[in-house]
Amino acid sequence: MDKRFFKLFNLTEDQAIALLDTPQDQLSEDDSRYIAASHLVNFPTERSIQALMRAVQQTDPALDNRIVRRKSVETLGWLEAPQALPLIHTCLADEDCYMVENAVWAIGEIGTDDPDILEDVAKLLDKPGQTHRVIIHTLAKLGYKPSLERIRNFTESTDPTTASAAITAVCRFTQDYSEMGKVVAMLQHPNVLARRLSIQDLIDAHYDAAIPQIARCPVSLVFRLRGIRLLAEAAGEAIAFETIQPDLERVLYDHPKDLDLVHRYEQPPALPALIRGLYETDFGRCYLAVQTILENYAEEAPEALFATYAEEAVYDYGAHFHVVKLFGWLKHAPAYDLLIEALHNTQPQFQKSRAGAAIALGELGDQRAIPELKACLETKIWDLKYAALMSLEKLGDRGYEQVIDDPDWLVRAKAKSQQRQLA
Amino acid sequence: MKSVVTTVIASADAAGRFPSTSDLESVQGSIQRATARLEAAEKLASNLDAVASEAYNACIKKYPYLNNAGEANSTDTFKSKCARDIKHYLRLIQYSLVVGGTGPLDEWGIAGQREVYRALGLPTAPYVEALSFARNRGCAPRDMSAQALTEYNALLDYAINSLS
Repeated sequence: MDKRFFKLFNLTEDQAIALLDTPQDQLSEDDSRYIAASHLVNFPTERSIQALMRAVQQTDPALDNRIVRRKSVETLGWLEAPQALPLIHTCLADEDCYMVENAVWAIGEIGTDDPDILEDVAKLLDKPGQTHRVIIHTLAKLGYKPSLERIRNFTESTDPTTASAAITAVCRFTQDYSEMGKVVAMLQHPNVLARRLSIQDLIDAHYDAAIPQIARCPVSLVFRLRGIRLLAEAAGEAIAFETIQPDLERVLYDHPKDLDLVHRYEQPPALPALIRGLYETDFGRCYLAVQTILENYAEEAPEALFATYAEEAVYDYGAHFHVVKLFGWLKHAPAYDLLIEALHNTQPQFQKSRAGAAIALGELGDQRAIPELKACLETKIWDLKYAALMSLEKLGDRGYEQVIDDPDWLVRAKAKSQQRQLA
Repeated sequence: MKSVVTTVIASADAAGRFPSTSDLESVQGSIQRATARLEAAEKLASNLDAVASEAYNACIKKYPYLNNAGEANSTDTFKSKCARDIKHYLRLIQYSLVVGGTGPLDEWGIAGQREVYRALGLPTAPYVEALSFARNRGCAPRDMSAQALTEYNALLDYAINSLS
């Protein structure tokens, strides 16, 4: 689990508990119980768990309190607190569908085989207005087979993410995976959330046959890398590193030519419109913009990229990533300093730009980047280390020797594969 | 895209009937509020950048502990995180004002997004805090008419409620 954002609000446990216990009408303007409920995820102690349970029992229906209750249930789920199960069970009857969603999710995280709780979760499938996808996930995760036929009713749901979860759950319960092709097809859905979430369903089903299609799915590489990695880990020794290596490296390289894009332009837009396209929240559209810039505006693009970087992309973690990558594809040597800065940017939301910069520096081919890339092998970020190895290899360096015993199995496997090639 | 009109027609069609009197009343209600909604949409569109940046700047000021230096909680981190995503949510709120229903928020900003935040361990608190600020800061008639502000705040509440 990636926990780099968990400590966003630098509170102590005592401060967060005191804040959470303060009645809403006595809070100062500068305080937020919602933040306190989020922050207690960092403290897996009985005191924190009891404070969160007290917050769940504050039933004032005002919006400010409602969101605190919900967040408290979610945090109890993160903390996997079994003592909270009876209380969370009562939340299944809540009027608020998001409270119910969080309660169902938390039950899945904590885990239970109590048939009363599981049946109450399953009954929510008959209740309209609920987040049926999350309900299906929890029932499948906890293996509650009596819900199978009720879940089957959702396999044709008009909501693609619910249908995807239902098909997956039915396959898992029946051990008949013949329908999983429908989930794989969702990787090409026009809705970005359908594409992203179908990867989660493929992970849940341990459906590693879909790794090549996941690699080509037009969503952020964060989702694809997570999918490939978790599927490979679930398969264990059943899948050799060499089998997944080409797909994994295509994802880390992340060139739009290696993606099956789902969007098209009727006419290639002008460069300023394409630059705006780098700021989209649907990465499928960003990749289309990147590809169109490369095909039509390779000459003019660097100037426009520097301008948008200075003005906005330096603060926007999505566009930042694409600007960095584009400088690499364009082999634009004057961007060297910008790429080095991106390579060492430690702000957590810019993390994917670091591996992106490592790849871009490999494209530039400037030997000065070798020590910079080697410094990245000292970090704990596996995709950054792996991308650095790919570029060091391109630059003719034997950086792999440094990580031949790396704690991360993918980095280690890559280093060993480079070692074998050079032996 | 789901709106009051499409929902009414879809449910009438599913039952093979004409829209009922109460269906037509809800469409009528939505149309009556359209002027206020479009006013709010227009004001929001012309001030999107200012509203978003004001929301996150105010958040930082309001929560001094967000300013503490460190890898995951520096001011820049919080600002840039919010700047991008708050603008995205405000844009979806603007679409929802135009449509006259929560369809754009539901389909593009909420359904499934909650799962993504949980799966990747992403914090929802910055969005909730910044959108709450935007809601509390709106003022009629300074920013827009009272009716327009009601429509705008209802959607901000909807976004805060469903993201948290």
